[in-house]
Amino acid sequence: MSAHRAPIRRFSKMILVYILALLATAFFAFPIFWMITASLKSDQSITTYPPVWVFAPTLQNYVKLVEELGIMKMFINSAVIVGLSTCLAMVCGTLAAYALARFDIRNKQLIAFEVLSIRMLPPIVSVVPMFILARWLGVFDTYWLLIAAYALSGLPFVVWVMRVFIQDIPQSIEEAALIDGCSRLEAFWRVMLPLLLPGLAATMVIVFMFAWNEFLLASMLTSNAAKTLPVIAANTLNAKSIAWGMASAAGVIMSLPVVVLVLLMQRYLVRGLTLGAVKG
Amino acid sequence: MGIQIRNVQKRFGAVTVVNGVSVDIADGEFFVMLGESGCGKTTTLRMVAGLELPTSGSIHINGKDVTFAEPRHRDIAMAFQDYGLYPNMTVFENIAFPLKIRKVPQADRRRKVEETAGRLGIADYLSRKPFQLSGGQRQRVSLARALVRNPKVFLMDEPLSNLDAKLRAVMRTEIKKLVSDLGITTIYVTHDQIEAMSMADRIAVMRRGDMVQVGSPLEIYDRPLTRFVADFMGSPPMNLFPASLKTPGRPTCQIQEFVDSIPDDEQALIAGRLDSTGQFSAGIRPEHLKLVQPGSAGSARAVVDFVEPLGQTTNVYLTAGETRFIAVTDRCNRQVGDVVGVYAPPEFVRVIAN
Repeated sequence: MSAHRAPIRRFSKMILVYILALLATAFFAFPIFWMITASLKSDQSITTYPPVWVFAPTLQNYVKLVEELGIMKMFINSAVIVGLSTCLAMVCGTLAAYALARFDIRNKQLIAFEVLSIRMLPPIVSVVPMFILARWLGVFDTYWLLIAAYALSGLPFVVWVMRVFIQDIPQSIEEAALIDGCSRLEAFWRVMLPLLLPGLAATMVIVFMFAWNEFLLASMLTSNAAKTLPVIAANTLNAKSIAWGMASAAGVIMSLPVVVLVLLMQRYLVRGLTLGAVKG
Repeated sequence: MGIQIRNVQKRFGAVTVVNGVSVDIADGEFFVMLGESGCGKTTTLRMVAGLELPTSGSIHINGKDVTFAEPRHRDIAMAFQDYGLYPNMTVFENIAFPLKIRKVPQADRRRKVEETAGRLGIADYLSRKPFQLSGGQRQRVSLARALVRNPKVFLMDEPLSNLDAKLRAVMRTEIKKLVSDLGITTIYVTHDQIEAMSMADRIAVMRRGDMVQVGSPLEIYDRPLTRFVADFMGSPPMNLFPASLKTPGRPTCQIQEFVDSIPDDEQALIAGRLDSTGQFSAGIRPEHLKLVQPGSAGSARAVVDFVEPLGQTTNVYLTAGETRFIAVTDRCNRQVGDVVGVYAPPEFVRVIAN
């Protein structure tokens, strides 16, 4: 009897798992779906209640974003600022993480903690001093100010995460490279870096997303020339009205680069590259 | 020529790991550093490799002072306990890596890699990644990578300790044959006394950062200087009996019969090996003890405590008064409780420092 029941029970369990998975997917995917459809709706159909599911898609929201708010310029601003600051944080952070992971440095723990402390300060506290300093240094509303701010706030994360990734790679692999004729730098470049790619990719995606979506500093430290996407997206909501269509369109435009980046990095975001390096 | 280690010390903070080691290793010699974990053998090796810098002292390789030189400028190769293979490269790329770094032309590279891989029996695996290999194969790859560029000096850090017993025995002979054929000066670190005995031209037994004794395997086995060495080498280890020298020429021992007729040249060693309280140890290897009729001339009375038949030989555990020791005999039919005479041939009794 029970021998017959077991497959049935397993089958019903599987169905349940699938239903739960579908529900979870729907839960996370629905807002995205809603945003994309809203961005394609006309002003009338967007406010209709109950919501219409079938409508004639229009690109008018995107056109307005480009023509009225000049979103292309902000897009370029965002790309340059976030791209550069991410690169800067990744390069400096990874090198610092390497030093902290591999070298005998006095007060190493203290230094690592000190690096992290920059993240303990709520940004709202530092934004006013930063504003004053920026005016004083004459970098207000320039790329450099936001690049520096984003690189600095991404740095501690890179240092701490990459340190763990580096520590996870057996030291003997690197020592073998030193013995085989590499200098420290060559050993890092030729041997460590390929093994660190998954970690670097994952860290970079997170640092990029953080800076890409950052609003507070961007809104306070820029006025026009260096304005970024989150600020312009917020501009669609003003005191008089909320332009739902434009807000949704801005959301879509902002999400795209992140999606593309994650897709590009996906092949590195696999574990197990260090499999089989050492005894096993 | 060869390697000269001069008074090398290594301290990590307040901890002294290597305490002034000095040794000359001849060209082409197979030199084994043997000791328990934490005795400083690996640290000494790593200082020769340049992966660790000595706190004081100097290291010369082939007449060149390399104490503070980078590893790549020492013309050494090294095999690691965990192999240290590059996981993202194929076996071919792993072995070719040192040649690539040294800008050896591609055709030469291929020829040398194939030659070395063939010698080590891994020619069929050149396109695999390390994780697709067994432990023994991985170690062969790491040996091939080390040997491919004909290094002057080969350093090995417990290369066999992750392999199973049978493979270890095979690799032991292979490595020994390989490096002696190539005539490479080798320093080999291990905690396994059988590896040390079977492979070494010379063994250095290390303890707490010191080289306690340096000598040929048989010298170390036959004439250990200290209790530690006597105890470390051989299985079962040497029997050691507390002894002292109160009147010159008349040593006393827990089992007096064993020291009564020590030859003169051995007697002469006592003075130099006494500790501060005038004590030393009398040592005799279990296989040198002879079981005889109780009461025979020069024998001590003992009771059989336990018998371990091993096939070829038999371990007989004995008690004489409070003292317990072991004799290894040919097959015998001694029973627990038998009273026997134990005779220690005087030429095999050793004077050992505590």
